[in-house]
Amino acid sequence: MTDRPSILVPIRILEGESIPDGVPKLLADTNVVLLGYHVIPEQTAPGQARMQFEERATARMDELEALFENAGATVERRLVFTHNAQQTLNRLGHEENCLATLLPATVGDLDDVLVAVRGTVGIDRLARVVAGVFAGFGATMTLYHVAREGESDADAQTLLDGLADRLVDRGFDDARIETRIESEQDPLDAIIDATVDFDALVMGESDPTLATFVFGLPADQIAEQFLGPVFVVQREPPEGWEEDGAAE
Amino acid sequence: MADPAADGGPVGENVAGETPADEPESVTDETTVYEDDVELERTIGLVGGLAIGIGTMIGAGIFVFPGLAATEAGPAAALSFAIGGVIALLVALPTSELATAMPRSGGGYYFVSRSMGTSYGAIVGLGLWLGLVFASAFYLVGLGHYIVAVLAEVGISLAGLPVPPHVLLGLLFAVALTGLSVGGTENTAKLQNVIVVVLLAILTGFLTYGVLDAAGVFGDQTVPEEFFSQGQLPVLTTAALVFTSYLGFAQVATVAGEIKRPSRNLPLAMVGSVIVVTLFYVVTIFVATSSFGAERLGGFGETAMVEVARDLLGQPGAVLILFAGLLATFSSANASVLSASRSVYALSRDALLPRWASRINLRYGTPHIALGMAGGPILVLVATDQVEILAEVASFLHLVMYALICVALLVLRRRDPAWYDPDFRIPGYPVIPILGALASAGLIAFMNRASIVIGAAIMAGSYLWFRYYAADVQLRGDV
Repeated sequence: MTDRPSILVPIRILEGESIPDGVPKLLADTNVVLLGYHVIPEQTAPGQARMQFEERATARMDELEALFENAGATVERRLVFTHNAQQTLNRLGHEENCLATLLPATVGDLDDVLVAVRGTVGIDRLARVVAGVFAGFGATMTLYHVAREGESDADAQTLLDGLADRLVDRGFDDARIETRIESEQDPLDAIIDATVDFDALVMGESDPTLATFVFGLPADQIAEQFLGPVFVVQREPPEGWEEDGAAE
Repeated sequence: MADPAADGGPVGENVAGETPADEPESVTDETTVYEDDVELERTIGLVGGLAIGIGTMIGAGIFVFPGLAATEAGPAAALSFAIGGVIALLVALPTSELATAMPRSGGGYYFVSRSMGTSYGAIVGLGLWLGLVFASAFYLVGLGHYIVAVLAEVGISLAGLPVPPHVLLGLLFAVALTGLSVGGTENTAKLQNVIVVVLLAILTGFLTYGVLDAAGVFGDQTVPEEFFSQGQLPVLTTAALVFTSYLGFAQVATVAGEIKRPSRNLPLAMVGSVIVVTLFYVVTIFVATSSFGAERLGGFGETAMVEVARDLLGQPGAVLILFAGLLATFSSANASVLSASRSVYALSRDALLPRWASRINLRYGTPHIALGMAGGPILVLVATDQVEILAEVASFLHLVMYALICVALLVLRRRDPAWYDPDFRIPGYPVIPILGALASAGLIAFMNRASIVIGAAIMAGSYLWFRYYAADVQLRGDV
C-alpha cells in the first residue's frame, strides 16, 4: 500500500465517455488521478463553459470517483476546462507525478499482460508501474522487445532480464514472467500484432522529440487497434517542462 | 440588499434574479482555480498574446488610415501616429499592472468594475462590447475596400450596384465571420499567429525598401514637402481619428484569463505590441508620404498603400500589399468579434447582461448568442459606410475605458486593499496613470462632434441599463 503508483485516467467528462467495465478493479492498487476534462473551441471562454457545465460535470465526477474508491483505489480528482487537451494532460501528469496514463478499455479476465520495452531509458518507471498495478493479479507478464538493426538477441535478452529482476525485487513471482524478443520488424506493427493474445498492454511513451503521447501516434494507433486497456508510461519530467507549450 | 460577502465577492441580483458568478479561489501560471478542484487551463502564450495585440492593431493603422490621415494632416500624420502610440503606451502600462493583479476575462471592464464599482463597470463593459462592435465594422469596411481593389486588379468591376460594392462585401464578410465563429472548429489562434508573422515579414521588407528609396539609395531622392502642410491642429484631430489603430492591446487584456504565466506574458504582450505597431505606423506614413506626397496619397483613400507599393515595386508590390491588406483587415475584424463576444460573457457572468447571453450551444460548443450580439450590430454599422465615424466612436468608447483604467490604478494604489498584489508595478507612478487618464480624455476633445454625441449617448444608455437592470449588483472588491 505504501507504493501505490499514480495513474492518470483522462475522461472527456461531458461527451458521455465512461469508465469501461473492469477498469476500476484493474486500478484497485493504484492512486487514480481522475482527470475529467472538457475541450472547448477557442471562440469560447473556459469560464463560460464552467458556468454552464460545472454542475453536470461535477455530478459525473462524483459517480466516477465512487466507482474507483469502491474498487479500493485512492483517488485524486481534477476537473479542467481547456482549449488544449494535450497541454492539460501533460500538466496534470507532471503535477500529480503520474507514472503512467491509462487509455481505458474493457477488461474481462486478466490473464496475460504484454509489457513492451523500448530500451533502458525509463525502465525503472516501467517496473514501478507493472509491479504496482499487476502485483495483486495472477496474470502472466510477457516482457517484449523488438530488436533494432545491429542489436543482438543477447543484448535484448539482457535488457528484458534486467526488467525481470526489478520486478522480482518488487515481489513478483519469477514464474509469472516471460520474455519474448522479435526482430526485423517495424516495432509498432510488431506490438500491434503481438497484442492479439493479451488482455492489457503496458508501453513506454514515444520519443522525446514527439511532444505528444496520449494522442500522439504510437500509443494512439495501438489503442485504436488493441481492444484492451493501454498503460502509457510517462517519461521522467524534463527540466522546465512547463515552458510555453503547444498553444504557441 | 444582501450584505457584502465576507470574502468581498460580487453580490446582489439583477432584474431577472440572477446573481454574479462566483470568483476563482486562486490563479496560477497555468490555470484559474475554482472551488471543488475545478480548473480553467491557460492556453495562450506570449506569442499568442502578441499576435492578438499586433494582429488586431496593424490592419487599421497601415492598411486603412494612411490615405485618410495624410489628407488631414499632411506628412505630419506620422506625428499623429506617434502621439497615438505614446498615449497607448501611457495606458498599456497601467493596464499591464492591473492585468497582473487580476488576470481574468473581461480586461478593462473587470479592472474598473472591481476597483470603482458596478456603475463605472457597466459603462465601461457595455462600452467595450459596443466599442469592439464599432471597431469590427470599421475593419470590415476596410476589408471591403481591399476586396474591391483585388477584384479591380484582376479586371472585375462591381460598379453599377445599388449599394457601394465595398459595403456589400463588408456585409458578406460580417455574416461569414460570425458564422465561422459559431460553427468553426478549426484552430483559429494558430492561424492568427501565422497571419501576423507573414504580415510583419511583408511589411518589414516593403518598408525597408521604401525607407532606402526615400533616402535616395535607388535613384532620385524625393523632395520632402513641408511637414505641417495642413497646420498643427490637424495633427491632433488626426491623432484622435487614427487612435483606432491602437485599440488592440486592450483585447489582450480581454483574454487575460487565458494567458499563460500572466504576470510575465500580459505586460510583455501589451506593451510589446504597442511599441511594435507604433514603429511600423510611423515608418509607413513616412514612406507613404515621401513617395507620393500627402495630397496624392489622400486621393487614393482606404487602399492608398496599394498605390504606394505599386509606385515603389511595381505590380508585384501592389499585389503583395493587397494580399497583406486582406489578411490584416480580416484578422483585425476576426479578433474584434471574438473579443466582443468575450466582453458579453464577462458582463453576463456578472449579471449585468442576462445569463442566457453567454449560453454555449451544444452542437459546436460556441457562444452563439454572444457572437450574434457582436455580429448583428456590426451588420447595421457596416451598412452605414461611415468609416471615420465608426473609427472615432470605437476610439471614443475605448478611450473612456482607458481613462477609467488609469483612474482605477490610482484608486487601487491609494486604497491598497489586501487582495491587490500585482506582480508588475509600473515605473513612474503616479505620473504615468495621471498623464494616461488626461491624454485619453483629452484626445476625445479632438474628435468629430457626431462621434462625441454618439459615444456619449452610448455611455448614457449603458448607465441607464445598469440602473434599470442591475442596480443591486455589487462588484467592487472588498476594500
